[in-house]
Amino acid sequence: MRPFTLNYAFPRRLPAVVTPYNFDESRQLNVLPDGRPAVSDPDLLLAVGTTTSTAGSQTHFDD
Amino acid sequence: MTVLILTSEEDVTADIVVAKLHGMGTPVMRLDPADVPGKAVLSADYAHGDFDGHLSVNGHVLSMGGLRSVWVRRPGEPAGHAARPSPWLTAETRQALFGMLHSASTRWMNHPRSADLARLKPWQLRVAHLSGFAVPPTVFTTAPRLAQQFAEEHRDVVVKSASGPPPGDPPMALPTTLIGPDADFSAVAAGPALLQRYIHKRADIRLTCVGVQMFAARKTAEPGQVDGRYGDTGHAWEVVPVPERVGKSVHDYVALAGLAYAAFDFAEDEEGIWWFLECNQGGQFGFVELETGQPISEAVALWLSQRKPDRRVPGSHW
Repeated sequence: MRPFTLNYAFPRRLPAVVTPYNFDESRQLNVLPDGRPAVSDPDLLLAVGTTTSTAGSQTHFDD
Repeated sequence: MTVLILTSEEDVTADIVVAKLHGMGTPVMRLDPADVPGKAVLSADYAHGDFDGHLSVNGHVLSMGGLRSVWVRRPGEPAGHAARPSPWLTAETRQALFGMLHSASTRWMNHPRSADLARLKPWQLRVAHLSGFAVPPTVFTTAPRLAQQFAEEHRDVVVKSASGPPPGDPPMALPTTLIGPDADFSAVAAGPALLQRYIHKRADIRLTCVGVQMFAARKTAEPGQVDGRYGDTGHAWEVVPVPERVGKSVHDYVALAGLAYAAFDFAEDEEGIWWFLECNQGGQFGFVELETGQPISEAVALWLSQRKPDRRVPGSHW
């Protein structure tokens, strides 16, 4: 029998977001193609949704 | 003295803190336990009458003697990126890495022992009660009859997961969902169900606590909205002051739980009462900081940069 709580689960369609930044091993943070840290563009971070409370829910349940 | 951040490379919320630490001139090493063994290398020894250990990754080297603090942010499973990952290799790697880190004298955000306990939802409610929060009536049960009785007594009841959505492909969502007493509760016998009285809320509150600093944000809810994480209401997070009584309860909660960092979720009802829903010891703060401008990352960076021991976690310092 399927656990009761799972009756309320549904497939989550994740948007195909391509993050326009890459991890810089030397600086230890993600950088944009022009070399600026990704965090220097808050609008971009909000747009890609990687800082939201459900962003890590597939691997971490600390939302 | 170096700050060690355990997280994945794609964690841009950690980036915000890394940038702050760079600006403060505080040395930092960012390491994903998934990269051990492989990209990251560790070595610990007790061969010369004392303990010593080293970590290296991406050209950065850290000696355990120079470890200032550890931020357990969003780490991958140890050995998760190994060429031949296995549960055994993960267990061995966890022993090596965390055994070494626990042998060092350092401060933790959050200490793994405290974090493990703090993740347990029933325990959270107990501590919330002890801390003086308003807590909605809640039941965890594998008894269908008790679940039915709870729903009949409280009428508007939500079901939520204690541990998050089930893993799998495709990814699953498991939002907090409103159910009624007419639901078929027979499947409660197949797995513990967490039922809670629904709070008719006018707003969601996210309160982030860093050390003794508190940052509260409020987001207006739509009528009948249940889980604020899903769906766009068109409302934004806004800074809101922390009521004195709530602030005292937050202080008591993190002290009891031994947490240096905690993200609290509340539902604000029509009378303005903040009902405790949960406390995420590793909760996200990036979205709140980006929308409100609250200096949460700066508070995290400052806490990690301090050298004084964190006395709230018994046994974390020798």
